[in-house]
Amino acid sequence: MSGSADPPYVIIVGGGKVGFHLAKHLIERDYEVTLVEKDAGRAEWIEHQLGTVSIMIGDGDEMAFLATTGIERASVVIATTGDDEDNLIVCQLAKVKFNVPRTIARVSNPHNVAVFRALGVDAPVSATELLMGLIEAELGSELVRGVAVKASGTCLVDLALPAVSGYVGKHLAEISLPKGGIIVCIVRAGKPVVPQPDTVIEPGDELVVYSQLTDVAAVGEALARG
Amino acid sequence: MKVIIVGCGRVGAQLARQLDGEGHHVAVVDQQVVAFQRLGRDFGGDMIVGNCVDEAVLRRAGVESADCFVSVTNGDNRNLMAAQIAQRIFKVRRVITRVYDPIRESVYRELGLETFCPTTLGANLIRDYFREGVNHGHPAVEVDRPVVRAS
Repeated sequence: MSGSADPPYVIIVGGGKVGFHLAKHLIERDYEVTLVEKDAGRAEWIEHQLGTVSIMIGDGDEMAFLATTGIERASVVIATTGDDEDNLIVCQLAKVKFNVPRTIARVSNPHNVAVFRALGVDAPVSATELLMGLIEAELGSELVRGVAVKASGTCLVDLALPAVSGYVGKHLAEISLPKGGIIVCIVRAGKPVVPQPDTVIEPGDELVVYSQLTDVAAVGEALARG
Repeated sequence: MKVIIVGCGRVGAQLARQLDGEGHHVAVVDQQVVAFQRLGRDFGGDMIVGNCVDEAVLRRAGVESADCFVSVTNGDNRNLMAAQIAQRIFKVRRVITRVYDPIRESVYRELGLETFCPTTLGANLIRDYFREGVNHGHPAVEVDRPVVRAS
């Protein structure tokens, strides 16, 4: 961070596991952080753990309370409670009433990612979806999704190519994935191979594909079919 | 008319029974199966068990073809989120939302939701009862004279 500029001011609403560890992480990186927690006992515990953190006891969805947190100068508000509806309302109030430039919400129900985006939250993050992707990877299923999910709705997916795929033996130039999916890397025998138009797909290759989150299934199907 | 009511508490259940009795097509959503007991045996509408802030659950309730959507769960934020999903994503024509917190109610009213606040309604009702001697909640009941004069 450059010396003269003030550190970004971040307000985190919800002092559960996610909120607590996030606050800790951001403080270590010199952000100015205020953590909002409803439960006085929990707040006291967090204060004990983090020492200097600025923690406020109150309801993150009460307008009058939010006004006391200095929210109008916050660069970002992050809602990390376990309830989707609370996180949505916190972000909407921050955006509409206090003109906070960026709002990030933890989303528990993966269905709600699109809903949050439609209702004005800048970056809905579905922990459930990320976790499912990682667990799926550990299970070693053929189609592994969600290696990285970006706010833009695109993601990098790691797809293990079935041995029977019609793509095996083809040049990359011959392959066109549906809906603009792009093969950005080939993992061959555990090593990355930078894809060239004349690279030939081999059995057992894993493909790292850049795609819209909503099109991952279609891309996976196309690869399986070949 | 097809009406979806989320929250089968006292208000939701009473409204559902009334509208069902008037011949409307009513679907009620609640997370607790036991809540549907409030609807009584005669209720002829649909009962959907599920989380009302989940698009899939609202679809099961028929939100895509609903004329009217009422959110009266006991959580302000749940009501506000369910109502916004109905209005902005499923384009339901009439969406009515209960919000207990008067400040939040006015914020979302400004944002274009049709809201009502039982807190304000209740306080005004009691004030008028004192001032004017009229119980707007039960117009048939009359008291002799105003207890408190407006100053």
